[in-house]
Amino acid sequence: MDSDILAEPMDFKVSELINEVQIDHSPAFTKHVNDTVSSIRNSIDKIPDNLVVTGEEAAGFVRDVGADKVEFKFKKPKSIEIGGSYSIKCVVKPDISVDLFIQLPKECFHEKDYLNHRYHAKRFVYLCVISKSLKSDSSFAKVEWSTLQNEARKPVLLVYPADKLAEVPGFFVRIIPTAKSLFNAAKLDLKRNNVRALNQGEISLPTPRYNCSILEDMCLEDNTEFLKKTFLGWKALGEALVLLKVWARQRDFIHSHDGLNGYLIAIILSYLVAHEKVNSSMRPLQIFRVTLDFIANSKLWTRGLFLQKQGEIKILKESFVGIGSTIKSLRPGNPQISGLRPPTRLLRRGVVFELNFHLAISSIWGIHLLFPFHFFLDFVSMSQDFLICSNVQLQNEASLTLQCFGKSGDSAFEDIFMTKIDFAAKYDYCVRLNLKGNSEFYSSGYCLDEECWRLYEKKVHSLLSQGLNDRAKSIRVIWRNIPSCCSLENGLSTLDGEPLLAGISLSSLDKAFRVVDIGPDAEKKEEATRFRKFWGEKAELRRFKDGKIAESTDPMSFSASLLGAFDVLSKRLRLIEDIPLKVSSVQPLDPAFRFTSVFPPEPHPLASEKGNVPRLHKLTSSCIQPLEVMIQLEGSGNWPMDDVAIEKTKSAFLLKIGESLENSWGMTCTATEDDVDVLQSGYAFRLKILHERGLSLVKREIGSDQGKRVSSADQKLFVHSQHSSMINGLQGVFPIYGPVVRLAKRWVASHMFSACLSEEAIELLVAHLFVKPLPFTVPCSRITGFLRFLRLLAEYDWTFSPLIVDINSDFNACDKKEIYDKFMLTRKGYEESSQNISPAMFLATSYDKASEAWTRLSPNILELKRLVAYARSSANLLTRLVFQDQTESYRWECLFCTPLTNYDAVILLHGDRLPYPQRLLFPSKLNHGRLVAHGNASKDFQPFMLPGDLRGSLDKMKNKLLVDFDPLRCYIADLQASVLKCFKECNTLKLWYDYLGGDAVGLTWERSCSKKRDREEASDAEDPIDVLKAVGEAGKGFVKSVHFLKAPRLMN
Amino acid sequence: MGNLKEKVDKKKQKRSKKDNNSKFSEKDAMIKKEDERSKVNKPAEKKKRKREKGNNFDGGDAIQTSREDDQTKAEGEKKMNKLRKKKQRSEEQNNALVGKYHQPGSESEVGFNEQKCKAIGKSKKTKKKKKEHDTSKEEENKVEKRGETDHGEAYCISSVDEDCSKGLKKWLTDYHQSRPGLKVLQQRLDEFIISHEEKLEQERKEREAQVAEGGWTVVKHHKGRKKTTDSESGITVGSVAPAAVENQMTKKKPKEVGLEFYRFQKREAQRSEIMALRSKFEEDRKRIQQLRAARKFRPY
Repeated sequence: MDSDILAEPMDFKVSELINEVQIDHSPAFTKHVNDTVSSIRNSIDKIPDNLVVTGEEAAGFVRDVGADKVEFKFKKPKSIEIGGSYSIKCVVKPDISVDLFIQLPKECFHEKDYLNHRYHAKRFVYLCVISKSLKSDSSFAKVEWSTLQNEARKPVLLVYPADKLAEVPGFFVRIIPTAKSLFNAAKLDLKRNNVRALNQGEISLPTPRYNCSILEDMCLEDNTEFLKKTFLGWKALGEALVLLKVWARQRDFIHSHDGLNGYLIAIILSYLVAHEKVNSSMRPLQIFRVTLDFIANSKLWTRGLFLQKQGEIKILKESFVGIGSTIKSLRPGNPQISGLRPPTRLLRRGVVFELNFHLAISSIWGIHLLFPFHFFLDFVSMSQDFLICSNVQLQNEASLTLQCFGKSGDSAFEDIFMTKIDFAAKYDYCVRLNLKGNSEFYSSGYCLDEECWRLYEKKVHSLLSQGLNDRAKSIRVIWRNIPSCCSLENGLSTLDGEPLLAGISLSSLDKAFRVVDIGPDAEKKEEATRFRKFWGEKAELRRFKDGKIAESTDPMSFSASLLGAFDVLSKRLRLIEDIPLKVSSVQPLDPAFRFTSVFPPEPHPLASEKGNVPRLHKLTSSCIQPLEVMIQLEGSGNWPMDDVAIEKTKSAFLLKIGESLENSWGMTCTATEDDVDVLQSGYAFRLKILHERGLSLVKREIGSDQGKRVSSADQKLFVHSQHSSMINGLQGVFPIYGPVVRLAKRWVASHMFSACLSEEAIELLVAHLFVKPLPFTVPCSRITGFLRFLRLLAEYDWTFSPLIVDINSDFNACDKKEIYDKFMLTRKGYEESSQNISPAMFLATSYDKASEAWTRLSPNILELKRLVAYARSSANLLTRLVFQDQTESYRWECLFCTPLTNYDAVILLHGDRLPYPQRLLFPSKLNHGRLVAHGNASKDFQPFMLPGDLRGSLDKMKNKLLVDFDPLRCYIADLQASVLKCFKECNTLKLWYDYLGGDAVGLTWERSCSKKRDREEASDAEDPIDVLKAVGEAGKGFVKSVHFLKAPRLMN
Repeated sequence: MGNLKEKVDKKKQKRSKKDNNSKFSEKDAMIKKEDERSKVNKPAEKKKRKREKGNNFDGGDAIQTSREDDQTKAEGEKKMNKLRKKKQRSEEQNNALVGKYHQPGSESEVGFNEQKCKAIGKSKKTKKKKKEHDTSKEEENKVEKRGETDHGEAYCISSVDEDCSKGLKKWLTDYHQSRPGLKVLQQRLDEFIISHEEKLEQERKEREAQVAEGGWTVVKHHKGRKKTTDSESGITVGSVAPAAVENQMTKKKPKEVGLEFYRFQKREAQRSEIMALRSKFEEDRKRIQQLRAARKFRPY
């Protein structure tokens, strides 16, 4: 056992997973199930025989399915048997249920009841009688309606026992009626018409789906028997089934009525067993892989699966007759049916049953309806629509999963089994149609051959695929229209309450956002008319359809003008002659240059060169943010050797450069002792010099792997430049990367994590989504990218895994080992204390394998915990927003609006004293807590130029322009430097803020590390109210109010 | 004796701490005074009580600052201070209880969005609150008797546009002062560099002087054998010490000759393979231990 574990860590995880999800068939559980079943039995037994049932109690249902004769005399079910996954011991948590097959007695049905939904109506009425009896029985807590595979005409009963067993919360029994040998299967041949309402005059259209719906019930028991034979006594196969179920369940777009379900997976597995693709020496994970490979790559999907049947079951020859012609007659004129085998050959090979797979028909989905191709003999499978589109999606998903096995390395397990791949995260755009009360789609009846909801799914799909054309890579439409508890007795009109979901994956951004759709050649008249007909008036106009979540266009023009300005600057820098060393290279560092800054800088009218008289409008900002630019100079041996002197020399150089620019180009230069900013073309550039010698110094120190030293200015610059060029490259490959980063940054800042997670770290996290998209594909919309970012934050195993962001895929095994070793070093202290982890978030990149650049100091473990909790909550909200209507007040705004109640104290700032008041998303309000201090706004600072400032000479005006002035930053610095220090005795205050311009600062009390202090001394500590007053005082003129919400915990 | 000494020490400690406090309370008192002035319209009773309080503190502080060595007095003050603090704290608690904010505290709080919008948190925590209620009932009563004054009145940050030592005004002044113009900066830099160079020169001279004085250098010898077991895992490392091998590997440049040409190449390949295997083994072992500890395999 142990050696096994060591050999394959994935196997270990898999076995743990199986233990987690599989239910223990303990005596208590078995007894619970048996008790419930026997009380159901008793309850049914109490129903008097020959009770005359008229169908009046379910008049609505009978009317809506369109059945004519439903009276019968009630007889007891022929048998009541446990079936389904419980019978093969493959129940998977969290849905713990047992299928109970009750075989409908033949006496209740007439020979011709397969016609016109009579069977369906009687089946329901029969269940109604049972439900009535169960409801009057006190041993059941609840009896609810549900349906089999979302098929409204085939309801089932969910029975919740009154006795609860703690092991199995929410346990219920699903009562499923079966119709074994109720009808002559030949009458249910695919080509036959059994719903007369569908007839149009002379032509009688076949009703394959309707027929299958009945056949499915007829075969349920035998199929279950067959599965039992395969699965019982074969542990590994059962475990593989569990794995496949977990896999499918995580992917809700294939785990659906027209996709996979547990039962179908079991059938596929038995097929593989029958064809000896799975044998008894295989481990569960191997079986899992083989199955996925089969799903992904088998050519059999074009023909359907055929299972050879052991044992004796009479073959219904009639049903084969003319199947080929059926298909042809269904689709006159088209079908290039591939791989259809002549029925006689099938017979010769003794093929016994077939699953619900389709012929592949090479035509566009939606124009030609597809029919499932069923060779039904006496045990036809469950046979609902395995629509070709869902089949393709299924195959794609299976091959993606197989890729995970190969590529993801350590995280394969998480990608395959633990990651939720729902509509919201999988597709780039989700369309939610609310069709409640829309009578149009069932105008021709709820159930004919197919149910109206399914028809509508197809209609929407066809519309989308025709409209989107090759803009979309794949489209998935699902309408899970049956709500969790519904009263079917009153009819089917209420089954439209749930929204229809359509997911769209874009093929590429270029294609998806092109402006014009070029239609077919005018010469091809038929196509052209179809095109015209589809697009109507739009055919000449713009043919661009808007998705529900609209993309706003990026302010690319700003970026373009910025890049232009940068080019000019770098040219001018290189041309400077009057400094000792020439400028050899100029590199942009600021996120704005790589399109990842939340607010792309806008040109400022006052930041232009002399001579250009600016046209000032009313709201001219009085602040400007400088953009960092890195300069390298020619090499020289005359540089000083020590750090301080190097920095001073750099400043001296920069001053000279600034002066030179001022003199020769009329650019304005303003400087402090540390920074030199030049104003040009409306932007402010902050110049920095990278000194080569400092760099080699850095390299040497990295070699000696002492991670705890203070990084020099040169090292920081170097890392910045590496990061900048790396991200710049990535941004060029994935145009949607920038927008996703901007959303992510805004989110982080809005929840006041600006101090915890650096901008660069966010860029790397988002980069990871693009370079390692598995188990998804690369996101093509900002919403999807953003959701995946939130989920990555929330779900990644930060404690035990390094996140390796390998942008140019330049890591080999050796590098990875190095990273892993470094990671292990940081986790050494974990065993002593789970708090003892630094960095809590390990981000390794090619320029920084030890995660020292961005996350070394923050987030710490507590901050990360908070971050993770916020991310999870936001991810859930965003997912809900995609799936449901949000009628209440909490909508998308909440994603970017942080609840102030989560802090111990809150400082509200004067919104009109923020440097960029227009960036404030939601003005903060606070109704809780106690107001400790309040103050007026200072008159000295205005975020916008006053009319008085706009008069006078240009130089004077320029002096009014504040470069890199940020009151919030000053305030935070002041607080950290002075006020909080006084308070360090007992507790410390932690500051949470939004560097993008939020008007609130959150404060939390934090315990200092010295725990030895006794109570007496603790009570001597500073009064929090006094501290808060001092905090308010320090922000004079800027702070609006200070609120006290929660006292620090006293230490015992 | 020892006891006594301890006592004295303790007192000293306390005093030094209180000195810290006193600065604060001084400020506090001043602030309070201002407060009073600004709120003349308050009911007379309240005002009176408040003034009393303020005076008390004033007096206390004065004594504290002027006669630090007077122990008895200091003792008395301490009591007073304590009393005040106790009162305040209990008030806070009271406030905290009365205010119906939701205690979010724990980082693991989920669903905050709902909280924000629905403010349902209250009902969630009522139980907890109740408990607190009981324990602090006594204090609360006290608070009710005399603590009403502070209720609902907040300290006003004053002299916003006059005080240059704090806040927005200060930051603006700082901003302008930090940008004196290129010329001034240039001058400062020159001065700095000159003085820096002088300093360096001096240091160099001193060093030289020192060397000239002594002239001895200590050479150390490393004792003991090479390690054969890893100190952490206890795995035998033997002749293939990871550090040594890594060093060797990094020193040697990859040669143009075929990989299997020389015997040493084979040896090296074998060695590195062993190394890789071992590290993989170690990695997996550690990882599994961690997983056992963490155990999160719930796919739902």
